[in-house]
Amino acid sequence: MSTLALVARNLWGKKSRSIGLALAIAFAVMTVVALTVVGSGLESSATAVMHIGEANFVLSQKGVSDILNSTIDKPTLKKIDSTPGVASAVGVLVETEKINAANPVFIEVGIAPSDLAPFGVKILAGHSYSADATNQVMLGYTAAQNFGLHVGDKFRANGAVNTVTGIVSTSSSFGNDAAFFPLPALQGYNRVPGIVTLIFVKVDHGVPVSKVMHRITYAQPELMALRTAAQFGQADLTLVFVKAAATGSAILAVVIGAIIIGNTMLLSLFERTREFGMLLSVGWSRKRIVGLIMGEGFFLAIVGTAAGLALAVIVVLLLTQLPQLLGVLHAHFTASAFITGFATALAMTFLGTLYPAVRAAMRSPMDALGHE
Amino acid sequence: MAEAYQVDERGAGLAVEVVGLTKVYSDGNVRALDGVDLQVAEREFVAVTGPSGCGKSTLLHLLAALDTPTSGTVRIFGADLGRMKNLAKYRREEVGLVFQFHNLLPQLTSLENVEIAMVRHEHGAPSHKEKAAQLLELVELAHAADRKPAQLSGGERQRVAIARALANDPRLLLADEPTGSLDSASVKVVVALLTRLREQTGTTIVMVTHDDSVAAVTDRVIHMRDGRILDA
Repeated sequence: MSTLALVARNLWGKKSRSIGLALAIAFAVMTVVALTVVGSGLESSATAVMHIGEANFVLSQKGVSDILNSTIDKPTLKKIDSTPGVASAVGVLVETEKINAANPVFIEVGIAPSDLAPFGVKILAGHSYSADATNQVMLGYTAAQNFGLHVGDKFRANGAVNTVTGIVSTSSSFGNDAAFFPLPALQGYNRVPGIVTLIFVKVDHGVPVSKVMHRITYAQPELMALRTAAQFGQADLTLVFVKAAATGSAILAVVIGAIIIGNTMLLSLFERTREFGMLLSVGWSRKRIVGLIMGEGFFLAIVGTAAGLALAVIVVLLLTQLPQLLGVLHAHFTASAFITGFATALAMTFLGTLYPAVRAAMRSPMDALGHE
Repeated sequence: MAEAYQVDERGAGLAVEVVGLTKVYSDGNVRALDGVDLQVAEREFVAVTGPSGCGKSTLLHLLAALDTPTSGTVRIFGADLGRMKNLAKYRREEVGLVFQFHNLLPQLTSLENVEIAMVRHEHGAPSHKEKAAQLLELVELAHAADRKPAQLSGGERQRVAIARALANDPRLLLADEPTGSLDSASVKVVVALLTRLREQTGTTIVMVTHDDSVAAVTDRVIHMRDGRILDA
């Protein structure tokens, strides 16, 4: 009989305990994976704004809790535009608005018509709004489909009835699900005249992007340049807190899980002392006994991981349907989230079973056989 | 390790050679064995008897390398247990152990309980399953191969434990009160089995018992009292 078969039989022989341990692992894995997915989902939603525009990098105000709270004034935008090496600097105002229950955090982008092309917005139907129009809007094609609107229809937003002048597409799915307004109009609706949220910068051909980024942030220390999603995640304090909470929860889950597993395994192995005495007496090495117990832990880790991942998927999908998170949280299941979950389960079971396993294996066969 | 098992000149033909074996338990007050000298020839069937606490089980445990002596030497087929580094290998390959309480794993069948003691499978040898089945046949329990310990009588469990002890073809079988917890009918079956085993396989058997009728079937009876052998 192989050790693996014995592992399975031992766990099957104590079904309730095995299920309890696997559930403890599953809940820890679920917590870690769900928090990781929520963190990366929120980051993905936030960074999506960055990807709407086709730029080499994005500039935002430094030290804001939420990147969408960034405010950059018109003079600063002009300075950026005139910086050597900058081909174009498109200032956009990004706001969110609750349109209806299904769209509680709808993205609205204020941008000048002349900047639409550099920004990567392609008009699929109709035409652009005019620069100073107050009741005109263009919809991303996904948003248009969702609202059932066409060119010429009316779209109620920002407390006004806006005529849909065009249907557009962008390189980002979030852009396709957004509305585009003339910049002054959206600034007016939100009472932030002359303010933009982000500046999308394209550099001249052949000029190193990092050099331009450094030049701008050196001259404008109140700004930060973001090139990757990771940089975006570090800049947005809310995301930093979410990620810190996820990391803290993961560590806590591992520690609490390891204590639960260790405690249960100690009790279980205490009851099996005679069994280990018998195995030692028939010639099992101490290493093989440690392997048997660790194998049981590993088996539980695999089962717990599978159950935990399934639970995490269910929990995250339920979270995305919560009214408070609808449209904000997009389930972003990544391989790294699943790997983190499995690593958590392994770490928990390794820490939880190592001491009980070594303790069981190091007993003298005589003591173990005499155990009542 | 193979060299270590070679019988040297002094111990040629001896399965067990014990010299000045003493065991004092850690608190220092209990002298379980007190300078025991003993020799058991290969293929011999020996019974060790004596009152409770006389040291007979302690002697057996020291022969099985389950415990270490305070002083003295134990040679098994010429190899000094005190000098052996891998006692697990010795227990696995040289001796078979039968206890008063069978110590079978309740979650495993009879066949699996025998298999669990087997060493790594060698090419050309029968599979573990086949060999375990043969051993169960030897102890006349082929019909109970798929039964778990809870479904067996006391005597049947002890026969499974004997089959497990024979899993790796040991040259020495050590039995600690193998009939101690059995009814008289089962005692007869187990004793007959051990006798037959010695005849069929030539295994050397050292059996601890307090039952004179059981001891009577062996080649030689060793009496112990107060940690000493009275006659050998």
